[in-house]
Amino acid sequence: MARLIRTEKEVEGRFEEVWLVVEEDPLEQWPAGPRDVVGRPAVRKTALERVRGEARFTADIRLPGMLQAAVLRSPYAHARVKQIDFTQALGLPGVHAAVGPGDAPGLESEAGYAGAPVAAIAAETFGQAHAALQAVAIEWEQLEAVLDPEDAVARGLLASDPERYERGDFERALAEADVVVESTYRTQVVLHNSMETHQAVCEWVGDRLDVYISTQYIWGVRDEVARGLGIPADKVRVVCEYMGGGFGSKNSAGEYTFAAAELARRAGRPVRCALTRTEENVAAGNRNGTIQKLTAAARSDGTIVALGGEFVNALGWGGWSAGTDGPMRMLYACDNVRTVKVTTKLNTPPMKPFRAPGFVEGTFGLECLIDELAAKLDVDPLELRRRNYAGSNDGTPFSSKNLSDCYELAQKHWDRRHDVRARSTPTWKRGVGMASQIWYGGGGPPSYAWTRVGSDGRIMVVTAMQDIGTGTRTAMAQIAAEELGVSLDRVEVSLGDSARGPYATLSAGSSTTPSVGPAVRAAAADAKRQILEIAAQRYELEERVLDIRDGRIVSSDGNLSVELDELLGLLGNAQILGKGARGPNPTGMSVHTFGVHVAEVAVDVETGEVRVERVAAIHDVGRIVNPLGAGSQVEGGVIQGIGHTLSEVRLLDPETGRVLTQSLDAYRMPTIADVPEIVCEFVDEPDRHLTSLGSKGLGEPPIVPIAAAIANAIRDATGADVHELPISREEMLRALREAKERRGAPAAV
Amino acid sequence: MELLQPSSLAELDGGLFVHGGTEVVPLLRDGILRADRLVDIRAIVPRGVEGGRIGAGTTLAELEADPHVPGALREACRLAASPQLRNMSSLGGNLLQSTRCWYWRLKYPCRLHGGDRCHAREGEHREHAIFANDFCASAHPSDVAAALLALGARLHTNRRELDLSELYRLPDEADRSTTTLEPGELILEVAVPPVEASVYLKAMDRKRWSFPQVGVAAARSGGGTRVALAGVAPIPWLLPSEGVDSATPLPRTAWKVDVARALVRRALAQVA
Repeated sequence: MARLIRTEKEVEGRFEEVWLVVEEDPLEQWPAGPRDVVGRPAVRKTALERVRGEARFTADIRLPGMLQAAVLRSPYAHARVKQIDFTQALGLPGVHAAVGPGDAPGLESEAGYAGAPVAAIAAETFGQAHAALQAVAIEWEQLEAVLDPEDAVARGLLASDPERYERGDFERALAEADVVVESTYRTQVVLHNSMETHQAVCEWVGDRLDVYISTQYIWGVRDEVARGLGIPADKVRVVCEYMGGGFGSKNSAGEYTFAAAELARRAGRPVRCALTRTEENVAAGNRNGTIQKLTAAARSDGTIVALGGEFVNALGWGGWSAGTDGPMRMLYACDNVRTVKVTTKLNTPPMKPFRAPGFVEGTFGLECLIDELAAKLDVDPLELRRRNYAGSNDGTPFSSKNLSDCYELAQKHWDRRHDVRARSTPTWKRGVGMASQIWYGGGGPPSYAWTRVGSDGRIMVVTAMQDIGTGTRTAMAQIAAEELGVSLDRVEVSLGDSARGPYATLSAGSSTTPSVGPAVRAAAADAKRQILEIAAQRYELEERVLDIRDGRIVSSDGNLSVELDELLGLLGNAQILGKGARGPNPTGMSVHTFGVHVAEVAVDVETGEVRVERVAAIHDVGRIVNPLGAGSQVEGGVIQGIGHTLSEVRLLDPETGRVLTQSLDAYRMPTIADVPEIVCEFVDEPDRHLTSLGSKGLGEPPIVPIAAAIANAIRDATGADVHELPISREEMLRALREAKERRGAPAAV
Repeated sequence: MELLQPSSLAELDGGLFVHGGTEVVPLLRDGILRADRLVDIRAIVPRGVEGGRIGAGTTLAELEADPHVPGALREACRLAASPQLRNMSSLGGNLLQSTRCWYWRLKYPCRLHGGDRCHAREGEHREHAIFANDFCASAHPSDVAAALLALGARLHTNRRELDLSELYRLPDEADRSTTTLEPGELILEVAVPPVEASVYLKAMDRKRWSFPQVGVAAARSGGGTRVALAGVAPIPWLLPSEGVDSATPLPRTAWKVDVARALVRRALAQVA
């Protein structure tokens, strides 16, 4: 039965108190360890469609009569459209419609950054639409632009009031400590650069709007579009069956969706609005830069007694202030913690959540600082982390935490450091570093799933979730197959269409599997119950002695064992329909994911080149549903993290505020040649307090600790402290020079 | 736009030459190059390696795999771009690449575009020139040009024969171009004299598809060693006798001097 509860809901580390209607989740968890299907490696359900090019991504959608839109963007970092005239543009060949500031949500007359959308034109071809943009007569009023975060802080140009947190007595603990380390860390702006750019195709069918969109949240887009256009939500259908990546940048409908919808209404034709790669690099959101002034203090026995941080989150024109201070507050047992987070608002492209927003940046600073502390204390970095293990989240118990098991698994990788160092040469110095990780990833209600079983013996799981490329479709099929006692190939999953299934959560915050998985299991259990009801009648046995195993109906005494198909064949045109819902999260508990990375690097001390040679990634995310998919997630996180650590940086012209790195040769993501050996290991212990599945999400954790692990390996190899991301040759050579001066200093005195 | 596909040099009559298209097509798309007439020169530019003579239409992928090509040139090809780009791009086209300076690529009205200031000097220039950067701080991206410069290559065009070093010129107030190529002039062949040893070393910021942060070519012949650098000046740069110490880095390019110094030392050691 549905229950109305007041609860705290977490998304991407942001909390809000909400009313939630939830259903109970009465199923017992399965025992730990691999099952028949769950916990066994499974190839993606849609692998063949993908490699054959049959999978239809939003970028592949071509509707009859579809027009192409191009977006007019501000050339100035801060300006206002005083006048705009489309007359000439609308007269050009192929042009059908134009929208300007105020005509659609997201198109504003005030442009807050260079690249901000102000208008859009739909034409027969993209080339015609693009050409027509040049013919729009537009008069700009330039406004003052603020581009530098330190300048913004100095002038008090903040997006919100500073957020302060304190527990214990930081000042006193600092004064009484034996050892204190202080460092300032800076992290750069990086871009999601998903393979599929942000895009939508909109088509009006009467008063109903179909939206095909590359999105992480079809239900969120549905509500946003309905609100933005002032139509009922059930008039909007949102479709996203295959998706080419989002990483947090596609959690909501963008201006491209609203522009396409409004242009489609005006033109009476379907309209596609797809960002180009250039636009993707200029205006599709980013991980904001940070400045972190951090302090750690310890007693000589290695007990951390004080942690302090002043964080600047350098937001652009939009976005929100992510939890850069989170790791410092939660990763270690420390009685005295003081943080302040200052958030600037700049005339630069907007922040959008990016794979563990805030925690990636904050973990880089904190975990580098912990290693600096370890060096000063002359304590082994892994040992220091063990000594300061957090048993609770500031008094609130963790629903489960197996970070100590991660440390155990990490030990053999950590022990390689002596051999790795021994392979150094005069120019190539080698070393090993580690870093730990905490993040969210428990998901939450609501999410729903249905199951449909027919006389053909096949099982259809229906849920209007999206698989953003992570493989959750396969994981859901595994869960249903496991619960129903059938092989994976009998299960299909219908997803990605708001008109074809019940609500499911957004795919962000590592939440899809922990949110939708339990609903799918419940829906499968509901179908199984009904199947056994029929079996009981057919075989004249009590339901409670019957079960489905390996595709057969069996009785507990072993006397009955018949093919499930034999029973289901009796259904004829009847269908068994199951339904399931995600139950509530445990109350009074803090749900988190944990992990540790051990990185091996080589540094050319003459040229500043850094090579990551091996990464061991050990994660604790509860039960692992698909080890193959989970491994892919970890590899992807590590690779994206290597880019963040070593080569990626979005650069702005300090004068005009325009993005300078607009193409993929200027904005440098890792290539496959840059990928080291990656070893993935999982604790694979179900969270006993979290749902009937015991699984947490894994999308984000693997990108959290990698930058610090690499930086700490660099310190191990060279003695140099890097303080800035990316660790370019410039930063590496600076740190090496500083280390050399430090070593040389006593002699000079 | 019209596309011509001449089959002989005699048919050439103006237009914008295009071979592999890996540079010209993006520049056309971005509106940096404009043309009413594109001329596909693939049928008229020689392709292949014969002794020390290399057809300017030979692709980088072909050069990289050819054992008769000197080591520095092969290595420069192997480390350039990506396999897909190397399959398309020609030797001649590579020598005529434009800078990757973001201000130039984004059409800032910079000196190279005929304007009156170098935006990079005052702006974001962490990848820019450390030599001859007074007027324009752009860095020339061709690995291949540095290798051929060290190798002492000569060019044959449809008009003349010249040293590769004579192909390039530093832009100045009166003339913003970085080559001496005349309108309608087409590089046909590159002649590479034999050397005793040669090498190309390249600092990249990822292992593939990176323009040179610093590229260093060294070639030894007849008792002398010539060193040339990529990515350090507005044109491929023959290292002067005073060496890397003569660099004039900008505030954020001092690191490139360190990298150049290390790579020059290594390159000299490798060809010694």
